[in-house]
Amino acid sequence: MSNPHKTKNKDLPRWGMVIDLNRCVGCHTCEIACKNENDVPLGIWRSWVKEIEKGKYPNVVRAFRPTLCNHCENPICVKVCPVSAAWQREDGIVMVNPHLCVGCRYCMSACPYEVRYIHPQKGMIDKCDFCSARVDAGLQPSCVEACPTSARIFGDLNDSKSEVARLVATKPVSTLKPEMGTEPRVYYIGLDVATLEIRREAKLVWEK
Amino acid sequence: MGKVVFDVHYQTTLAFLISYYFYFTGLSAGSFMISTLSYGFGLEKFKPASKMGVVAAVLLLLIAPQCLLMQVAWPVKSLWHNFLFLNPISAISYGSFLLILYPLNSIIYGVFMFKENKKWTKLFGLIGIPLALAVHGYTGWILALGVARDYWNTGLMPIVFLFSAMVSGISMMILFIMIRDRFFTKEKVINDDLIRSLAKILGWLLVVDLFLVFCDYSILLYSKLEGQEVAHFMLFGKMSFWFVIVENLVGKVIPMIIVFIPGLRRSYFWLIVASLMNMVGILAMRIVTVYGGQALPLM
Repeated sequence: MSNPHKTKNKDLPRWGMVIDLNRCVGCHTCEIACKNENDVPLGIWRSWVKEIEKGKYPNVVRAFRPTLCNHCENPICVKVCPVSAAWQREDGIVMVNPHLCVGCRYCMSACPYEVRYIHPQKGMIDKCDFCSARVDAGLQPSCVEACPTSARIFGDLNDSKSEVARLVATKPVSTLKPEMGTEPRVYYIGLDVATLEIRREAKLVWEK
Repeated sequence: MGKVVFDVHYQTTLAFLISYYFYFTGLSAGSFMISTLSYGFGLEKFKPASKMGVVAAVLLLLIAPQCLLMQVAWPVKSLWHNFLFLNPISAISYGSFLLILYPLNSIIYGVFMFKENKKWTKLFGLIGIPLALAVHGYTGWILALGVARDYWNTGLMPIVFLFSAMVSGISMMILFIMIRDRFFTKEKVINDDLIRSLAKILGWLLVVDLFLVFCDYSILLYSKLEGQEVAHFMLFGKMSFWFVIVENLVGKVIPMIIVFIPGLRRSYFWLIVASLMNMVGILAMRIVTVYGGQALPLM
């Protein structure tokens, strides 16, 4: 964490997000805002809130983990894409080029965060792009703007005056799966380990 | 620790068509190997299998990429995007070249073989061996470089794929040679010596294959949590029927016992049973590896 924002070009912004889970109330507003903004089809989410219940009465709590593309510094999806459709902007946002993508789904199975999906109508990979069009227009991503408790904070990690840079530098932040070497640029404050659990069983495709 | 109230998973990314693609490529690489034994390495005993091997290798390699194209959402686009917008550090990029070079080389090799030109057959046979190894080894690489999945991300994956390719290819050749000799020759006599030799090779390759599976799982069970979970999922969970029974017991252990017991090996019936079981088992192996390896949610 000593060098949390190493970018290729220091003059450009490096967009990142801090999610303060002490503020998150699990209202799923970010999910809906994202769906509205990006026209995400039914059954599919670019950003969602994993919600778990833990503990035994009277010591019980619901824990949340808002999930979105981590816009990694070393994105695996960009490495594995055979047609260079997955690419990274200079400011760090990991994008999908719909003109190049052939829908082979290799990036889906290589992404450790499972944030990529096949768009059912287009047959191409789609995922969170930090609302790049809004960001380019000087706006905040729609999930950040919609969050009623301001749990999501978005900004330039290279700008030491920005709130994200201040939070990353001064708060105990964590990222998802640091062992993958991807260097995610979505940071969590107060992440509950119970929201990271791996499930032992899965529903198989041939099961009803 | 906690009970999941809401979560999203996109789990079936590479499904059955990819398994079939791996299966057909494996069969092709295996039968190509058999066909090079006589022309490439001078083992005259295997000469009657050469022509059949190369024809099977070419035909299967015409089917295999169709599965790949059906799996890809934009098949026509993928035909030229794979070359025009090539990403040199992606494993799939190299596959598109191999899938062109290997069948081309096999066709040239086959043409020279049918023309009885020994020198050129040997040359193209020897060029074809690394190509056949590469075309099937890279399918293992594709999975191994899907680094998010602990079941795939092991250096053993290309080797496991090569050995399963060779065993399934040999099983298929045993069946094909029996059918050809019995029904499509003048003598209608099965080439006993050839079949027995192939069965022996099959047996030893199965031993290696089972040893690789043992290595893989013994390491997986001791590895980090995700690896342990996926090993439990395969051995005792919902995949256990397909992995333990179909893939390993039916597909590998029983055929290995059949070909190693002299009494059973002498009987054509049991050899047919062993070959069929092995082919079914290796198909199950492809499905277990491709689909089962990614069935568990990651977070």
